[in-house]
Amino acid sequence: MADASGSAADKSVQVKLVLLGEAAVGKSSVVLRFVSNEFQANKEPTIGAAFLTQKCRLEDRVLRYEIWDTAGQERFHSLAPMYYRNAQAAVVVYDVTKASSLEKAKTWVKELQRQANPNIVIALAGNKVDLVQPSPSTSSSSTLDVEDEADDATATPGEAAAGGEPESLRQVPREEAEAYAQEAGLLFFETSAKTGEGIVEIFTEIAKKIPIDQIMASSRGGAGRGGAAGGRAGDNAQGGNVNLQENQTKGKDACSC
Amino acid sequence: MATISTQLRNFKEPTREQLNYLYFAIPPAEGDPYLNANGNGGGKDKEKGGASELEKIEVGAILSLGVQGVEEAYTGRLHLLPPYLAFASLDRKSVRFTMPLSTIRRVERLNAKAGVYALSLALWHGMKIVVQITALRPTADLFCSLLRDALKAELARGQMKAVKTFVQTCYSEVLVAAANDADAKDGGAPSKNEALPGSDPNSAYLGGLGLKFKFPGDPRKLREASKTKLWTSYLKMHGRNLTLVRYPQCTRLVQVGLPNRLRGEMWETLSGSLYLRFENPGMYEQILEDNKGRTSTSTEEIEKDLHRSLPEYSAYQSEEGIGALRRVLQAYSFKNPETGYCQAMNILAAAILIYMSEEQAFWLLEVICDRLLPGYYSPSMHGTLLDQRVFESLVHRCLPILYDHFTAVDVQLSVASLPWFLSLFINSMPMVFAFRIIDCFFCMADRPLTIALATILKINGEQLLQIQDDGGFIHLMRDYFSSLGDSAHPESPDPRARAITRFQELLLVSFREFAVITDETIQSERKKFRGEVVHSIESFSKRSAIRNLKTLERFSKEQAGLIYDALFKAICIEPPPADALPPPTLLTTKEGQEERPETRIELKTFRVFLSEIATWARNERIVSNGFQQRVEREVAEHEFIDRLFFFWDKDYRGALSFQDLVSGLDGVMFNDLMENIEWFFNLHDKNKDGYLSKDEVLTLSESLLFIFRFEIGDAYLGAVSRFMSNAFEYGDALLPRAEGKDGEEDAPLQIGANQPYINLATFRMVVLADEILESFFETDFSATFRLEPVPMMDLPSNQGLLGDLWTQITSDDNKKIFNRLTDGVGRAVGKHQVFHRPAIGKFTALEEPKARESLLTPTMRRSASKASLKSPDGDAPAAPPASVSAPANLSASEPAPEGGLPQTAGLSPMPTMYEAAANAAAAFMERTPFAIDDAKDEDEESEDEESIAEDDVMDEVDAFLEAHDSGLTAAEQEAAQDLINAEPVK
Repeated sequence: MADASGSAADKSVQVKLVLLGEAAVGKSSVVLRFVSNEFQANKEPTIGAAFLTQKCRLEDRVLRYEIWDTAGQERFHSLAPMYYRNAQAAVVVYDVTKASSLEKAKTWVKELQRQANPNIVIALAGNKVDLVQPSPSTSSSSTLDVEDEADDATATPGEAAAGGEPESLRQVPREEAEAYAQEAGLLFFETSAKTGEGIVEIFTEIAKKIPIDQIMASSRGGAGRGGAAGGRAGDNAQGGNVNLQENQTKGKDACSC
Repeated sequence: MATISTQLRNFKEPTREQLNYLYFAIPPAEGDPYLNANGNGGGKDKEKGGASELEKIEVGAILSLGVQGVEEAYTGRLHLLPPYLAFASLDRKSVRFTMPLSTIRRVERLNAKAGVYALSLALWHGMKIVVQITALRPTADLFCSLLRDALKAELARGQMKAVKTFVQTCYSEVLVAAANDADAKDGGAPSKNEALPGSDPNSAYLGGLGLKFKFPGDPRKLREASKTKLWTSYLKMHGRNLTLVRYPQCTRLVQVGLPNRLRGEMWETLSGSLYLRFENPGMYEQILEDNKGRTSTSTEEIEKDLHRSLPEYSAYQSEEGIGALRRVLQAYSFKNPETGYCQAMNILAAAILIYMSEEQAFWLLEVICDRLLPGYYSPSMHGTLLDQRVFESLVHRCLPILYDHFTAVDVQLSVASLPWFLSLFINSMPMVFAFRIIDCFFCMADRPLTIALATILKINGEQLLQIQDDGGFIHLMRDYFSSLGDSAHPESPDPRARAITRFQELLLVSFREFAVITDETIQSERKKFRGEVVHSIESFSKRSAIRNLKTLERFSKEQAGLIYDALFKAICIEPPPADALPPPTLLTTKEGQEERPETRIELKTFRVFLSEIATWARNERIVSNGFQQRVEREVAEHEFIDRLFFFWDKDYRGALSFQDLVSGLDGVMFNDLMENIEWFFNLHDKNKDGYLSKDEVLTLSESLLFIFRFEIGDAYLGAVSRFMSNAFEYGDALLPRAEGKDGEEDAPLQIGANQPYINLATFRMVVLADEILESFFETDFSATFRLEPVPMMDLPSNQGLLGDLWTQITSDDNKKIFNRLTDGVGRAVGKHQVFHRPAIGKFTALEEPKARESLLTPTMRRSASKASLKSPDGDAPAAPPASVSAPANLSASEPAPEGGLPQTAGLSPMPTMYEAAANAAAAFMERTPFAIDDAKDEDEESEDEESIAEDDVMDEVDAFLEAHDSGLTAAEQEAAQDLINAEPVK
């Protein structure tokens, strides 16, 4: 998107990232939030895969995410290797209101760890936390859709039980998923594409974990510059290129994509 | 998770006749599977069957319309494919029609010049088609008489009447009727109004959501009015809906874009889904009705996507549109459970529903998924993958420079093109343009998609050569699609050239430059790559099936792969029923609730599977005649195999998954002696109470006999019979006594054949008493499970003429014929031999295992038997004799050479005895002679000091038996006595 300075563009490192997860857990919405800070209630299902890019500034360098957002339906599974081949990062998404989606996420992780690039950085993201947060979503969401019950139409119809105690919708306890992530060596986040919660953090943390110098070295023919960890740019690196206002304040760590 | 599909294996290249049916879009003659399955179309099927008995014929013909000067005549082939009449011009594209015979009202032989054989066919709406048959006279006569028969059959079916009600659903009738009215008012040509359906032109024609929610695009810009006018006059002249004759003008009109109101019906007509709707009135509603309230994985997936299908179109923001979409998709998934629902179908269905009613859309979807895009939406998506491969190869051929560039920068075409193919461009291009490509798609089968894509690449060639990665490629394509409405030549001074949009340029280029790509090209490319694609899909699903196993148990990946291969082969040979899922109620009670579709095999398939792995689960006959030696393999059937099946079916589903098989095999293949004994015991302990009943002991013996059925020599038979006698002996000895009456009768409780009888410890002891059984359980049994590479079955290969010929020759039937022939010859020269290959094959000749010392020391034995005595009623008085009698039988070894005789004599009634064994009581009585017989034999040979003690023991046993076997008749007791006292033959 808005690449501020020409010099930054020169230094930008391309990172191929792939999104995987069960159908209708909100993969596309996560990407859409990250890339254009938007949320669409009824997003068309991804057919095959969609491709988007977004830049992310980490300290003194710029990462250019090339994001492959894959289709979730089981039968598209066989196409996935086409998309995760050579990927340096993966975000495996599940739906916190659907226990089975975590199971599917686990199989994806397993597959990635066995079949994909051995150095791949994997993040696990439990999406749709807005559905299980006690705060009434009506007040916070000033977005177009006024329906207070569901993140989007993809929420399973049975759980439409509006109001009441939203925690009851939760089927995957945070602790459980976190423990699994720890055990499998994944980054872990709970996110909401609808409110934007946790979305940027995923990509920031991935950016930190990726061996950028290696990628630079390999892609720029050994022209990678040294100085791995420069001084922490800190909060002042905010002049980022994404207009995620509410998240910029949260992004206390180096990167504000 | 592991869904194993053998569908790809079953693919057969269509025959010439099938190709004809496909080309003419004639619904297949055989009864629809849905109808058959539901039984509600029985009558219909019969009629259809009757129709297909009518002979088909194909003749050369010249087609012209009755009116002079309307269209020139075209030479082609006229096909009578009851209940259809079809014509195609020689080039197979200029002119064609497919007409139900029921639309023909009259056939006249025209009085023409000598030597010309012409028929005039009058259609229901008065139009005339003249076909001049160019075949020789007798053929022409034959054609006429067959046509007459077929027409009569149609009349008998009452289809003639159905036509009129059917056409009322077509918008084209309204158009034509209106035009005729207008003509009449003008006082023009006399109206041919006689047969028009419904005097009310606004009769119930079917239309899509667009009628209410508006069609996409600006009608003025699309020049709706003039298009409609052109079509009206075309339809008036050349027939419409069922009777449409497609002249080159028709194709041109389609390429210009169909008018919105007519679009739905023309799609139906061009794709041929119209005929399906015509032949199956009411089926759509029927399917919905039959499956009311049913849920499945597909319906769940559909539900998720309903609000995500063309959400910006207003109809899909209302319940009306959503409901229609839901019903169409569900009906399709119910009718085609194998395909079910695939994402992208929602977009497709949503798009066509704008232009057509639910019923029309349902049938069109059927045609798209089944015929136009075969395998695109199937669970393996093989059709999509295949066409990607075909597309890449066409790019390689037609646009080599681009192809090389893509290869150089490692851009995979399919990452971008796949979604376009799957959703027919609907969500990648502006809709108006996508619909125009779809117009062409229905008119010219699947070619337009590929061609359009190739064209797009060509048009953008310059920029494409600049791209460096997938991302650049996709961006470029996205920009291009969004600019399709722009002028193609904005700089041109000529306003007419400026008016040409990029989309028009796209169509122009594609029809001009890629006309070389024909349907045949695509067919032959598909043929070429099918094997490759199928192979990669299969190996992928194998890998993921293995990866998705919850546990590999103790197998390595390779071994799991071998198990998978055996399973896959079994499924190929004996496919599980299409819907092997248990009823939904069973699923919902499971706490996991979310069940992934998983291939499970039933008993029949399991037998085949096991026969691949376990040597005793197959009957292998080695047949040698003078010429060849071959192994004939058959799947064995036995209660033991069935038992194993249910033993492994831990969840009581009546079906096994891949995981169940792996875990099951793990439970037996890695066992040591003790584990194997326990495993075998558990397998036969049906109620899992830790005891075998008498019945179960007999079944277990039967199982052993089954496994040993082809072993050479009598050693195993002997072992089993000793096992039985020992088991009953111990069992009886260990029976709890009636309490408190120790001094008295001391009779064991009479227990029923199905009461707990012997426990694991006893069983173990009995098994260890026999060397053969011991070694069987120690190594041999586990070794009968062999994971060997399953010879991969050949894919249906169609590599040219030679390939075809070769497969013809090597077909199974021919092999059988060859084998029979050589057998015959072999028999004639006396060299025909057949013998069974044994499952264990330890003893290759009739040599018997050597005698041995008992493995257990007497103390061990005693303690073992004591342990076994801890039966419910601990203090069984009969214990001491039993435990001491152990040595007698434990020393059970092989009979001396002479001893072999009585033994075999004794054994020969075995089979009959063991058949009768089902009747437990009978067997219970018969066993006695055996026990004693064997015991006697052994006494003779045992030469250690124990033999002395044994005599005593034997006496005790005899006494014991005498006392307790009250079930025996006097005569039988006597016989038993005789046997006990009988001297072994020397």
